[in-house]
Amino acid sequence: MDLKSTVRLNYGIRIIFARNKNSRELKTEPNLLNHSAVARGPMNHFLNSVFHSESPQAGAISNLFVLVLIVCLVILFIVTAMVAFSLFRFRYKPGQTDPKPSHGNWKLETAWTVIPFFVLIWLLTLTARGMKQSDPEPNRKPDLLVISHQWWWEARYPQTGVITANEIHIPVGATWLVALESADVIHDFWVPRLGPKMDVVPGHPNRLWLEADKPGSYLGTCSEFCGAQHAQMHFLVIAQPAAEYEAWQKQQEKPAARLLTGSSRKGAKLFQQMTCVNCHTVNGTNAKGQAAPDLTHFASRETLGAVILSNTPENLALWLKNPQEIKPAILMPNLKLTDNQVGSLTDYLESLQ
Amino acid sequence: MNETYASPPSVEIFHAKNAGEGFFSWVATVDHKRIGILYLLTAFFFFGVGGLEALVMRLQLAKPNNHLLSPDAYDQLFTMHGTTMIFLVVMPTLIGFANYFVPLMIGAKDMAFPRLNAMSYWFFPFGGLLLHFSLLAGGAPSVGWFSYAPLSETPFASSPGVDYWILALFALGIGSISTSINLIATVLALRAPGMSIRRLPLFTWMVFVNSFLLIMALPALNAAIIMLFIDRQLDAHFFMPSHGGSAILWQHFFWTFGHPEVYIMVLPAFGIISEVIPVFSRKPIFGYEFVAGSTVAIALLSFGVWAHHMFAVGLGQPMDIFFAASSMMIAVPTGVKVFNWSATLWGGSIRLTTSMLFAVAFLLQFTLGGLSGITFAVVPVDWQVTDTYYLVAHFHYVLFGGSLFGVFAGIYYWFPKMTGRLLSESVGKVHFWMTVIGFNMAFFVQHFLGLMGMTRRVYTYPDFPGWGLLNMISTVGAFILGLSVLVLVWNIVVSLRRGVLAGDNPWNAWTLEWAASSPPAEHNFDQLPPLHGRRPLWDLAHPENPDEPGAIQEEPEGKKYNKNKVGMMCFIASEAFFFIMLLIAYIFYNFSQHPNTGSEWLDPLKTGVFTFCLLASSFTYWRAEKKLESGNYNGFLVWLAATLVLGGVFLTGQGMEYFELFQKGLRAGTNLFSASFFMVTGLHGLHVLIGLIGLLIVLAMALAGDFKNGKIEAVKTIGLYWHFVDVVWIAVFTTIYLVGVRT
Amino acid sequence: MTTHEFLLSALNWNPFLMAVSVVAIFTYVQSCGWKLSGKTVFFMAGLVSLFLASASPINFLARGILFSAHMLQHLLLVLIVPPLFLLSLPTRRNGGISKGFINWGKHPLIAWFSGVGAMWFWHIPVLCDAAASSQSIHLLQTVSLLILGTLFWRPIVGPRIEERLSPLAGIPYLFTACIACSLLGIWIAFAPISVCPVFMNPTAPPEVMAMIRDQWGLTPAMDQQIGGLLMWVPACLVYLGAILVLLGRFYRRSKHIVPFRPQETEKKND
Repeated sequence: MDLKSTVRLNYGIRIIFARNKNSRELKTEPNLLNHSAVARGPMNHFLNSVFHSESPQAGAISNLFVLVLIVCLVILFIVTAMVAFSLFRFRYKPGQTDPKPSHGNWKLETAWTVIPFFVLIWLLTLTARGMKQSDPEPNRKPDLLVISHQWWWEARYPQTGVITANEIHIPVGATWLVALESADVIHDFWVPRLGPKMDVVPGHPNRLWLEADKPGSYLGTCSEFCGAQHAQMHFLVIAQPAAEYEAWQKQQEKPAARLLTGSSRKGAKLFQQMTCVNCHTVNGTNAKGQAAPDLTHFASRETLGAVILSNTPENLALWLKNPQEIKPAILMPNLKLTDNQVGSLTDYLESLQ
Repeated sequence: MNETYASPPSVEIFHAKNAGEGFFSWVATVDHKRIGILYLLTAFFFFGVGGLEALVMRLQLAKPNNHLLSPDAYDQLFTMHGTTMIFLVVMPTLIGFANYFVPLMIGAKDMAFPRLNAMSYWFFPFGGLLLHFSLLAGGAPSVGWFSYAPLSETPFASSPGVDYWILALFALGIGSISTSINLIATVLALRAPGMSIRRLPLFTWMVFVNSFLLIMALPALNAAIIMLFIDRQLDAHFFMPSHGGSAILWQHFFWTFGHPEVYIMVLPAFGIISEVIPVFSRKPIFGYEFVAGSTVAIALLSFGVWAHHMFAVGLGQPMDIFFAASSMMIAVPTGVKVFNWSATLWGGSIRLTTSMLFAVAFLLQFTLGGLSGITFAVVPVDWQVTDTYYLVAHFHYVLFGGSLFGVFAGIYYWFPKMTGRLLSESVGKVHFWMTVIGFNMAFFVQHFLGLMGMTRRVYTYPDFPGWGLLNMISTVGAFILGLSVLVLVWNIVVSLRRGVLAGDNPWNAWTLEWAASSPPAEHNFDQLPPLHGRRPLWDLAHPENPDEPGAIQEEPEGKKYNKNKVGMMCFIASEAFFFIMLLIAYIFYNFSQHPNTGSEWLDPLKTGVFTFCLLASSFTYWRAEKKLESGNYNGFLVWLAATLVLGGVFLTGQGMEYFELFQKGLRAGTNLFSASFFMVTGLHGLHVLIGLIGLLIVLAMALAGDFKNGKIEAVKTIGLYWHFVDVVWIAVFTTIYLVGVRT
Repeated sequence: MTTHEFLLSALNWNPFLMAVSVVAIFTYVQSCGWKLSGKTVFFMAGLVSLFLASASPINFLARGILFSAHMLQHLLLVLIVPPLFLLSLPTRRNGGISKGFINWGKHPLIAWFSGVGAMWFWHIPVLCDAAASSQSIHLLQTVSLLILGTLFWRPIVGPRIEERLSPLAGIPYLFTACIACSLLGIWIAFAPISVCPVFMNPTAPPEVMAMIRDQWGLTPAMDQQIGGLLMWVPACLVYLGAILVLLGRFYRRSKHIVPFRPQETEKKND
């Protein structure tokens, strides 16, 4: 199994199967899947389409979009029909002379100026209403702060102080206000099934509402070109029932796990000694770097690398061996670790539940 | 109205055996027809370059998680593809057609300024080379064709690719603006008697309106890229939020150019369609006035819709809704055109030549692209689909399925006029069907990809169901498109040698270019047919049923336009808008809550003295003109010299002021005040310097006795420019020194 | 209070204005011989707009409460009322009713600067404040806007044909005015400082303020933004509409082509 095929991620299968966090069994090499087997239910990110909405905001947009599309299709049909009919009915037949010149009919032309005008006014009122429904004015402090970096997402929970990366948990049915800030260039926060996108602009904080009607794992993606790894800067929004969400919060608030077996203890030491601490934070240790994702509860996350690999020991080992191979041009360099070092670090990081 | 102008002195080494032949005659040509062909050929070359870039990108995207290209290579490709197609293909092609056919359509011998025309052309390959030189200098720009800040700033884009992009765009802009000025002056001043503005062929009218659009839109781009260049080269921070700048201001400035730009790329194509459809339906365009009027409406409205590219930036709902309203409004005149073209088909006697096939496909594809554009005007929908492949599909439908299909229609329509031979209709049909199939295959599926969540500008994508298949279809379609271009090349090459001889008017068309020979003689027309309507050749062939019965000759035009004055006024309008943009930037950076240090070191009183000198120089120039008009040549020389001296004093004063500020440690990159101050005053100073050079040339010509014969055009024209420079300084001085200085 | 209640209560049946309107209607209808025509519609529309601007809830809100209402009032007074009144006058080649227009104001440049200058002048913060707070300065503002607006529109829709700009010249005239107007609108919409400080702390009955803040959801910042946008987009649509009218005029001429007589110069009915 070569590196490239392992790197290939098939979201549905991996994430569904990766729920078994604590088991260390080897995950099989994903083949190109029979998608219909997993194309069901809210857990699947496959149908990440704007029409498969799972929130009131996305739902409002989806309904509006369908209506607008119908209007557009009607207009397209009218024009196409008129043109097609003309091409057949008024096709030149040999021997025909040129028709009598007609220079226009201003009544008709006024009609087809004024009627579209009113159609568009109607669309405009729908637009205004849709804007209010999908993006009402913020009226309170944000529940979540998202800071975008080249090329990963930082998430901070102001009420509890929890900081995590690339995976956002929210309680099902709650309407959250997300504050968006950027640490470097312009990015864009977009979860197609949950709502509109919003640019994350340095120097211009933005707000967005985030809500999910059903529990599930929703894929988000960066939607403004932000450099070399824009294509691999995704994130997950995981909506959980209240009890599960509380449990997750409690777990995240704790400092880093300290169950250290032999290999992971070695890994912990390596982590402290090598340059990892300059960029990463692990609460409860002296790793306090701010430039890279917080790793305190790394093992509790379903994916790594901003949702390009599922979080399994094999994938983590591949990542640590040479992150540049998987995600070229990111800030994490190839640390030229030996296989032993990789093994220890993997054990350590996978212990950080 | 045939103009005579002195031919350039002949130089031995450029003489071919027969004048007008040989390689150098093409290099040195000032003939609008040859320049038009040069534009078309060069643009075609870049079409191949841009097309290959696209094909390589499509290869990378054919499969999920593909590793054919590195991310950086892909990013360079899509940046170059967009920049090339827009600035090096679509614009020059349309300008090439305009160059060739506008003078012919109005019965003129050439453009108003043939040498300016040639210069404008040469900026095109020069700009193209400059852009591609970046490949040798550290890599092509890789930040997208609209180069959003701060990604395009040095900390995030350290290779000089972006700098070459800026310089290339600047050079290309000079060429475009010059051509547009030339076209406006040509259409206003060189029409044959009887060719009133109301009778202009729609292609000419749309090119004419388009030229105004261009001269007003490009200054916004120039302002933006100059500011970015100052950021990158002089360490300023106009667009760096980390140092007080604004990333969003880049977007505002860029899209103030960018949106009119897309109309610049489509209006001449509308013009081509407005010629092709009537001719092959055998009836005049339905509703000439509405089509012509809607063009003006589009041009004006296009300046008021730019922020619909920024709905997801967070400008606030009031702003979004106003731009949604204006964007929807602009659909009305565009719709009017579509309906009018369709109505032209109705009741006609339609011949489906290859040109007509492309025109009909244009009609349907552009409508589809335009409708998807309306979906973007519905702001919440835009919030879902902007920056996805749905957007990529939209703009390819309007720019390729629209503009380029219009270009193809124009090629088949006008090739016989340009070369004397018809393109093969059978090969043409093959070309057409391959293009239509390839194009729709490549781009229709992209609507779905966008709706399924695929964002744009990604070098790869995960293996979601359907994504791989749709991308593969798109790639296959793109390759069919690529092959179709080869078919076109084949058609052109073969038809040049063996095509059916066309004669003057193979299509039995009605506008003036078909009265010339195929190809036209160098001076275009030996004799013009009588001009009593919009379709002179129809009137000639149907004297019993002319378009405008009762008109023996059009009433004389109210005024005669002076081409030099028109040209200079257009240039001034363009530069005025440029300075307005700069002043907006200055106000933005300096009139907010946190003033920067530096403005307290300005001395309005001292600068006021130099200001007085500059304004006085306008007075002295006016006196000089008066003296010249009244025949007092020496008086003229004296006042002219005084103008030069006063202008020089002003510049010296500005130099002294700069020196003092440098002594105090103020540099362009020090803070936002210094950056904007030096930019505005520096660029104005540059304009003064250019004016002084112009005045020097006038003085030299005057000393040589050039103006004694009453031909004082140059003096008056340069005078307009000089007065303009003074007016700009009044605005600059008021803003920076009077209102802006904090005591 | 609800919006409905507010609209009813804020209508100000200004007796002076009513009296003047009655006299004006009487004079107007009498001078066109008691015949109603399209131009009468323009006249009534002009009166209604004037009323909207000066005596309706818009006026109430413009007096120190809502900046966007003040902007709406401005736009009505400069861009809507004057052209409507000018259009209601019968067109003449020479002579005709002139209602005391100042002769020197008819040069296009002066006319242009009048219209554009009026907008810019009354947005100098100190002056803007004064007009919103003081009754007499507000009256001065209203009258000046009407006069200067009339001067601006005279080269486009003035009653004397020979004073009008040719259609093609009218287009840059209007377009540059649109740009100048837009620049002001853009500045107001984006300016962080308050252009007209009195509107940051509006003095209005509490029920009205409650209605504005809660029911309509308008904060002072949004209010200023909307004001700037009103000056920008709808104003430009008015200019654009006028440009299209000019284009219509331009093309309609071609239908009236008369056989060419060498001595005749251009004098057409429009």
